[in-house]
Parts: sequence; C-alpha cells; structure tokens
Amino acid sequence: MSRLVAVAANTFRETVRERVLYNLVFFAILMTLSGLLLGQLSIRQDEKILKDIGLAAMDLFGTLIAIFIGTGLVSKEIERRSLYPLLAKPLTRGEFFLGKFAGLAFTLLVNVAVMTAGLALTLLATGRRPALALLGAVYPILLGLLLVVAFAMLFSTQTSAALAAVLTVGVVVAGRFADVVRNMREVAPDVPPWLAEGLYAVLPNFQNFDFKDKVAYGDPVPGGVLAWVTIYGVVWIAIVLCLGLVSFRSRDFQ
Amino acid sequence: MPAPAALVTTGLSKSYRTGHIIQGRRPALQDLDLEVQRGEIFGYVGPNGSGKTTTLKLLTGLLKPDRGDARVLGEPLAARSWRFRAGYLPEHPYLYDYLTAAEYLDYAGRLFGLPASRRREKTRELLALVGLERSANVPLRRFSKGMVQRAGLAQALVNDPELVILDEPMSGLDPIGRRLVRDLILGLRRAGKTVFFSTHILSDAETLCDRVGVLRAGRLVRVGTLGELLRLDVQHMEVLVSGLAPDAPGPWARRCESVGERLRLEVDERDLGRALAAVEAAGGRILSVQPVRQTLEDYFFREMGAAAGGASAWGEG
Amino acid sequence: MTWRLALLLVLLVPAVPWSQAQIDRRAGAFRVQEEVLYLWSGTRVKRFFPGFEDVAADLYWLRTVQYFGGQRLFAANKRFELLRPLIEISTTLDPRLEMAYRYGAIFLSEPSPIGAGRPREGIEVLETGVRNLPGSWRLRQDLGFFNYLYLHDSERAAAILNEAAALPGAAFWLRTLAADLLAKGGDRAASRRMWQQMFDQAEAGIIKENARMRLQILDSLDRGDRLSRLAAEFQRQRGRLPARLDELRVAGLWNGPLVDAADVSFGYDPKTGRVFIDKASPMWRPE
Repeated sequence: MSRLVAVAANTFRETVRERVLYNLVFFAILMTLSGLLLGQLSIRQDEKILKDIGLAAMDLFGTLIAIFIGTGLVSKEIERRSLYPLLAKPLTRGEFFLGKFAGLAFTLLVNVAVMTAGLALTLLATGRRPALALLGAVYPILLGLLLVVAFAMLFSTQTSAALAAVLTVGVVVAGRFADVVRNMREVAPDVPPWLAEGLYAVLPNFQNFDFKDKVAYGDPVPGGVLAWVTIYGVVWIAIVLCLGLVSFRSRDFQ
Repeated sequence: MPAPAALVTTGLSKSYRTGHIIQGRRPALQDLDLEVQRGEIFGYVGPNGSGKTTTLKLLTGLLKPDRGDARVLGEPLAARSWRFRAGYLPEHPYLYDYLTAAEYLDYAGRLFGLPASRRREKTRELLALVGLERSANVPLRRFSKGMVQRAGLAQALVNDPELVILDEPMSGLDPIGRRLVRDLILGLRRAGKTVFFSTHILSDAETLCDRVGVLRAGRLVRVGTLGELLRLDVQHMEVLVSGLAPDAPGPWARRCESVGERLRLEVDERDLGRALAAVEAAGGRILSVQPVRQTLEDYFFREMGAAAGGASAWGEG
Repeated sequence: MTWRLALLLVLLVPAVPWSQAQIDRRAGAFRVQEEVLYLWSGTRVKRFFPGFEDVAADLYWLRTVQYFGGQRLFAANKRFELLRPLIEISTTLDPRLEMAYRYGAIFLSEPSPIGAGRPREGIEVLETGVRNLPGSWRLRQDLGFFNYLYLHDSERAAAILNEAAALPGAAFWLRTLAADLLAKGGDRAASRRMWQQMFDQAEAGIIKENARMRLQILDSLDRGDRLSRLAAEFQRQRGRLPARLDELRVAGLWNGPLVDAADVSFGYDPKTGRVFIDKASPMWRPE
C-alpha cells in the first residue's frame, strides 16, 4: 500500500511539473473570465451565464487534462522504458497502475478545487454570493473526469499515447451522446432495438455527470440522485480500472 | 547449510511473435539452464540479438517465460520477496527526466520501503560512489548519457542488494566512467555480492568476470571460467626491435612486421632466447617483449565465425 | 490473481444498468441540456453556426425528439414550455425541416397530459411551416385538419384544404373533404377521414401512434353513440331506459363488448340514456 502511495505521490509530482497542465488551467481561467464579459453583454441573467461558462470550462479543460495526461501516464512509461527499472523492484504492476491513477486523480481534484475557487471568487467580484449548491455540479464533473482518466489509462496500456487519446476522445464524445443513442429509435425507427440498447449498454453515460443546467438555474438537485450517480461512477471506474489492470498485467515488454 | 545459488534457471524459454499478417514465432531464448554462484561476477556475453536482454527481462519480470523456471536467491521467480534483495540496471536506462538524481533515488528507496533517514543516507552515499554528488539536485533532463548511466547504476544499489543484475553497464561511458564502474563491480564482489551482467564489450568481461556464459542465437553454448574457455597458455611472444633490417631475424621469427622504423616479431615461446640473441648479434636493440594469449575476442571469432555475423555483431558500446 | 479480478468484474457489470435505472427514476430519463434556452431565438442560434446550420438543425431536432419522444410523452411533468422554442430554433436553422412543424403542431395542440393543450400555438407553428414551405401540400393539409379538429372551424378548414388541393401532388380527395366540411359543418366522419389520412401518411413512430389513438377514440365514440341509440330503442320497447348497459345484452339488442377501445367500461347515465367514455379511460378527451 505504501508503494502505491509512493507511486501516487510521484505521479502527482510528475503532473505538476508537466507544462501541459498549466497551459490548460490558464485557458480554463481565461474562459471563465470571458464568461464575465459575456455576462455584461447579454440581456439574460449574467450570473447564470457566468456559472454556466465556469462550469463548462471546468468540464472541458478537466476532460482535456484527463485525456492528455492520462494517456501519457502509462504509454509514455512504456515507450520510454522508464518503467523497466521500477518493475524490477518489489513493485507489482497493480500497485504501479493504480498508483498512477491515484496520482492523477489527486491532481484533478486539486485542479477542480482551484477552478471552483476561481469561479467563486469571480462570482464574488461581480457582487454575487456563490452558493454551496455549485458543488452539486462540481462533484459529478470530478467523477466524470476520473472515469475519463480510467479509460485513458486502459487504452494506453496497449497502444501509443496518441492512439489512446483518440480512442478516449471517442468514448467521451459517444458517452456524452449516450442519451441520444438510447433514444435513437425515436428519430430512426428502423434501427433494431437490440442495436440501440446494446450500444447504450457498453457506453458510459456521461450525461449522468452533468448537473450544470440544474445548478445554474438554481434548481435543487433531486435527493438521492447524487448518491446513485456516485455509485454509477464508482462502478464504471472500477470496471474500467479492472480491465486496465488485466491488460497491463498481461503485457510483455519486448 | 550453504546458501543457495544466486540464480538458477531451468529450461527458460521465450519466443516472440513476428510479422503482422502472417504470424510466426521467433525463438529468442531456448532452454536456458544457467547457474550463477554467490559472490561471483558472472559475465553474460553474446552477439546482438542472441537473447541476453531477453534473459534479463525474463528474470526481472518484464517478460513472461513461455516455458521453464528460475530461482533467484533461493526464491521462485514469481515471488516478490527476492526483489527486496536484488538490483537491476536496464540497457539504456531512462529515468524520469522531471526528477533530480536525488529525488529519483529517494523514490526508488520508497519503493523498497526504506525509511526516510536511510533513504537520505543511501542517496548521499550512492551519488558519491558513482561520482554524481555535485549533480544531486540537477534534473535528470540535463544529464549526459554517461551521467544517466551512472545514476541508473546508483538506483540499482539503493537497497544494498545481494544480487546485482546489470544490462550493458558500461554503455555510454567514457574511459573514466568505465573505470569507475569496473571498480564499483569489483568492490561489490569484495563486499560479497553477486554480480550478473551482460555485455558485448569483451575486454570488460575478460578483466572482470570469474565465469562467463556465452549465448548464441538464443542458446547457451559455453559456460565456464575464462581459463576453461580460453587456452590461457601463451600462444607466442611479441618482440619489438629497432635498428634491424626486415630480413635480419632469420628463422626464429614466425612473422615480421614493420612498424615505422621498428620491427614487430612474432616469436614462439620456446625460441625466445635464441631469437633475442640473434637480434643482439645482428646489432638490433630490443625494445619490448610481451606474451600474447588468446583473447575472448579470438575465442569468439573462432567459435562463432561467420555464422554469428562476424565483426559487425560485435560493435563497441 | 486474475480470477479475483474477473469475479469483481462479474459483480460490477450488472451494477451499471441498475444504478442507471435508479438515476433515471429520480432525475428523469430524458434530460436535455437547458442551455439551449440561452440561445433565445432561432436567428441568434443561426449566427453561431455559420455554414453548419443543417447539422445544427438536426442536432436540435434530435434533442427535441429525445426530450419529448416515446412513451415518456405520456408521463407526468413534461416541460412543454421548451417545445416551442426548440421547434422554433430547429426550423429557423433549417426551414425545410417539415417533420418539425408537424411534430410541434401535434404536441402543442393535443390536450394535456399528452401535449401542451395549446392548439393555437400548434396552428401558428403550422402556419410558419406553410409560409416557409409553400409547396408542401401536406403541411397545408395538416393546417386545414387542425383548424377543424382543434378549433372546430370548418369554414376555415375547408378553405385551407382547397388551397392544399390546388398544389401539385396533392391528394385527390381533399376537395371532396373540403366540400363535405362546408356542407355538413363537419362531422365525425370527416374527423375520421382526417385522422386516417394522418395515420396513413405518418411513418412508424409517435405521430402515427397518436393518430392511431385518435382513431380509436373515434371508434369508441361511435360505439358509445351506437349504445346510446340502442338504449333509446330499449326505451321504445320497454317504456323505460335500461338501468345498466348489461340490460341491452339481456334484451338481445347488443351482443358485443361494452367497453371502449381501451377495454374500459363505458359510462352510462340511466336518467338520460347517454353512453359516454369514462373519464378514467385513456380514450377520454375533453370536448
């Protein structure tokens, strides 16, 4: 366990020293500030616009971080062989894999916390009070990001970082349209039900992590939903990590 | 009860899949039966592609064997326990370039479960040992290839291992670095450690190893001490003379070669005395006399011949 | 080691649809991103998608259908206030999205809980459609139908149907239907013909289903009327109205079912002899 923590801590250090992170955070902040500007221009509620854009930035850039750093975590280690001296030590492949995940998860947590604080500060600067309910949207975003990381790591155990990134983007995009897949027969009734249901079953439904609209409108998040969303998210993350573990353990490093 | 051998393999085999559409299997290592004794320096030599790195990767768990088994420090290959007592340096090591040398060694120490104070101590000690104490806080990104190699060696020793497995430890090093590593390996043996290293720099194997294992096309063809492998008795004497005409030495010299103004004579050991007398009688000056023994290189060229790919397979470094 | 992972996977996988169902139960299975409301008019939306209006129209249309589609439509707490803007945005992005006009019209006009119960808005949508697609006889046909079916304005309906009949490709019977409307002021037979047309023209899906249900309602009304006439006949024969509909059976006047098309028993007022569709039946519609 302590080895896993050691790997996680080192991974956190690795991501923090990775320049990509700062570029993306910078753009996220930029986007939030532009929300501020848009809020001035629109005739509708500017607070809602600010919240929406702030949350959207968190979601978008968090996803990009999760994909690009996540795919590099394992595949770069394999490509560059920096993995080799480590695996010869009493570090199991499982500890390495999960430690990397934990490290990036922590990085994302810190990132999301920073961006939430930034959003709250921006809201305060415009003379509004940031509601605690905002966390109701932030928390599921974070869950979604962890699932993206899990997928990124799964793919990167078998392919190069670039291909893994493409595959992860594919899964994320498809997952965001999961509802459309499920209901596609409404628009295309000729599609056989088993196809629509089947596709829906293997895709993670990223809509489940999207509470941005409810929170931005000030609607209360229905009781118990967040608990079930947590269960859904944790189960999916566990499934993908298990698959990633199996894949990583079976790998021969030629 | 005597301690078990440091390393024993039985029938260890591995083949790789080749080709994309039509898949074949290329055997990289076949039926390796090897034993490395405690406290010895064992050299594992062979041409490129002969299976040296495959063997080391099988031992360290980077590859899974198709067949066969091994025991390391008395424990089964798959056990984790022996890894606490062994160290490994891969070929062309890549260490995390975003860490400093000291941070990397500290990380390695954490993976062995060493407490913080011990990690600090070992880091200081090892960086000094490999001559990197002044670069302790420089990011590995800025290290030269030789410096990385030395840092790699340091990380293999963090846990004070009983068995040290090194894949091409001299690669990328300048002569000073190679001397340092050579001394380090000898120092390990003095401390009772076992060193198992692969190389294709034959002179290193010659000067360091107690025993040598020769690998060819995935098979271990010879194992033994250098004395067993080579005919260490003197083949001939090499005499360097000056002030003599090329035809002067007469029948005593088997061969006669001009080196500038001097002559290099190949003289049979038995005829040495008479040859020297003849040189002096002819008015020449004897500059040096040296015995020539068969080298490991001669052995390989003789044993492996053209089948091993000849000289090109033995590129330095 | 791997079998433990395999076991874990086997346990985890069914948890996915189970937890999804729990989420759906609490949050609704058809959630739409309401940021579409930001883009508060179709023209503004159009400006955001230069060159990609058609794709954007499709996406919005997909969202609309997803949001309102299927059996969900017949559930409670539907947010119909989004329907009009969504339709409007979709048709502004692509004015030739004929389906959107018809869909929007039906579900804006149908009474609650199936639709928004705002037939005037539904007709407005059709009128926009007719303006944007003047050559579409079907849209004009629908407009005529709706004026009759929901607003009970047979004159206007007849006029529009005649306009539709003048368009190339129009069905031949539109004129006769228009004439019928003018002559009889409209009757159930005309309604039936209209819904039958819409049923025949629609592809499998909710619009077809809706038309089918409408036809079943007409069938139920017809049967109810028939039973009412039989009750009157009963009175002529026996001097009193039947106390219960069963008596019609006993008297040998009727040996068919006493239920409407949804298998719900008819309501019966023994004082007036009127047979009507029970309010609890899915066939019931307000007048």
